[in-house]
Amino acid sequence: MKRRHSFFSIFFNVLGWLIIGVLILFTVYPVIYALLGSLKTNAELTLGGAIFPKDPQWKNYVKAFIDSNFITYSKNSLLISLGTMIVACFTSSLTGYIFARHEFPGKRLLISLYGAMMFVSIGSVALYPIKLFLQKFSLDNTLLALILVLTGSQITNVFLVMGFVKGIPKELDEAAILDGCNIFSIYYRIILPLIRPIVGVVALFTFRNTWNDYITTLIMTMSNKSLTTLTVAVVQLKYSVFAAAEWHIMLAGASLAIIPVLLLYVFTNKQFISGLTAGAVKG
Amino acid sequence: MNKKVSERLQIFAMLAPNLVLFFFLSIYPVVWCFRYIFFQYGGLASGDPIYIGLGNFKRLFTNDPVFIIALKNTFIYAIGKVGGVLPLAFFSAMMLNRKNLKGSGFLRATLFMPTIMSAAVMGLVFYLLFNVYNGEVNKYLLLLGMKTPVNWLGTKNAMLTVIIIGIWGGLGNYMIYFLAGLQGVPQELYESADLDGVNAIQRIWYVTLPMLGPVLKMIMMLAIVIAFQDITTIMVLTEGGPVNATMTLFLYAYQFFFPISPGSVVTTQFGYGATVSLVSSVIVGIVTIIYLVVSRKLDNLY
Repeated sequence: MKRRHSFFSIFFNVLGWLIIGVLILFTVYPVIYALLGSLKTNAELTLGGAIFPKDPQWKNYVKAFIDSNFITYSKNSLLISLGTMIVACFTSSLTGYIFARHEFPGKRLLISLYGAMMFVSIGSVALYPIKLFLQKFSLDNTLLALILVLTGSQITNVFLVMGFVKGIPKELDEAAILDGCNIFSIYYRIILPLIRPIVGVVALFTFRNTWNDYITTLIMTMSNKSLTTLTVAVVQLKYSVFAAAEWHIMLAGASLAIIPVLLLYVFTNKQFISGLTAGAVKG
Repeated sequence: MNKKVSERLQIFAMLAPNLVLFFFLSIYPVVWCFRYIFFQYGGLASGDPIYIGLGNFKRLFTNDPVFIIALKNTFIYAIGKVGGVLPLAFFSAMMLNRKNLKGSGFLRATLFMPTIMSAAVMGLVFYLLFNVYNGEVNKYLLLLGMKTPVNWLGTKNAMLTVIIIGIWGGLGNYMIYFLAGLQGVPQELYESADLDGVNAIQRIWYVTLPMLGPVLKMIMMLAIVIAFQDITTIMVLTEGGPVNATMTLFLYAYQFFFPISPGSVVTTQFGYGATVSLVSSVIVGIVTIIYLVVSRKLDNLY
């Protein structure tokens, strides 16, 4: 059955794609502005003018890297994001597997507690008692503490892994038990290789979250600036005394923070998008 | 029996890493906050906590105009963002859900892109874009014939600006949710609707939306809960100002504990701040429950 192509349907089609075009522009423009603006002079930025830089100012990046100490911050960002990613994959896959496959006293209570905490959020205020507690043991200002706090309790990821493990036939575990595997070796030899797709999603999302995080990192590194990440350092430029004269440096910094995730996204956008729906709509 | 014990030990050892983080990072802070809602406490420097019973609640509900402003702002922001982002996301999903549409994957990936960006870094970029005198937005508006530059970050427009940025950040995200939901609508329904000769709007109203029901409910709830808790962009862009124009509940609680910007002065009030944050999270909970009840009632009507 073919649908008629009346005047109205063509009109609505054109209008629809026009709106999509506007939305695409709306989506992309700020990012383009940051990337291209990072190569302009401050005068070009504040006086306005062409979209493209007249004469690409690569020295903005040099200046950001050297004057604003961004080499250290980039290293920190990478180290902390990778660290968080590894810890997150490890903790959430272990717990997700146990929740899906094994019985122990208090399991149902624990799972409902995890579920409840997904909805109880006291916001960033939670960081205060955490910081206070770490201070007592002189663990604040350490890289390890920062990584662990940023990893967080991984509730969503635990449920993501749990759902995925439940979809794997139990016969595989049972065969492994007959072969003499214990609980950990089932996880390590059977489950882990099979849940790689979902662990990949966990890794991707955690890396992005940590790389982009502002508030937690800001608070945790308040008294130890040497651990600060790119994201926090870039935003802090807004509060510098020279802020008004340094739009180009701010945009160079912003681009430095944006480009790595953007590149990651170019190669992994399918996983990002499918990972999102794996977690959300099924429930 | 021995095997059972060793199994239990293994289970516990494997749970431990995540369990420790869960109790320390999720449970403990809530318990800590609960304890201080009955105290007046400004931190180690200001002496021991003083027990004041329900004093914090009394102050919150009867004597704190900023809390009322923050409450109102939070609702305005949430309604503005959810009301703006969901229709646009639904529309985008409908447009990009056609089979054998070339470039649809690319368009989806492009619209989804803001989701992977740092809200804080983009907040800074938007801060420059929406600048009154030098920002690009005003420059384009002036070119288009606007007489005077719009003060996007001033008292009157700051909330609108923050909502626009919220929509920017959420559009692709919700579009993907809608697309996932649309995959679940059986193609035959559309075909039989076409046989009945319905038009495009009837197709959406009588086929797509009812079939999307449960997913739509999930998406709405997610959008509401998330919108109530967004604070990063606001923190970077307006710092809750000017004069509390964009102060929201969770940001208001935050500034009793930490400075919003390096320049701002905090008089730490942990007891009161804890009360504000707990009441805020209870409000989010109540809104969620009301939403669930109302949407179930609506289901029964059909």
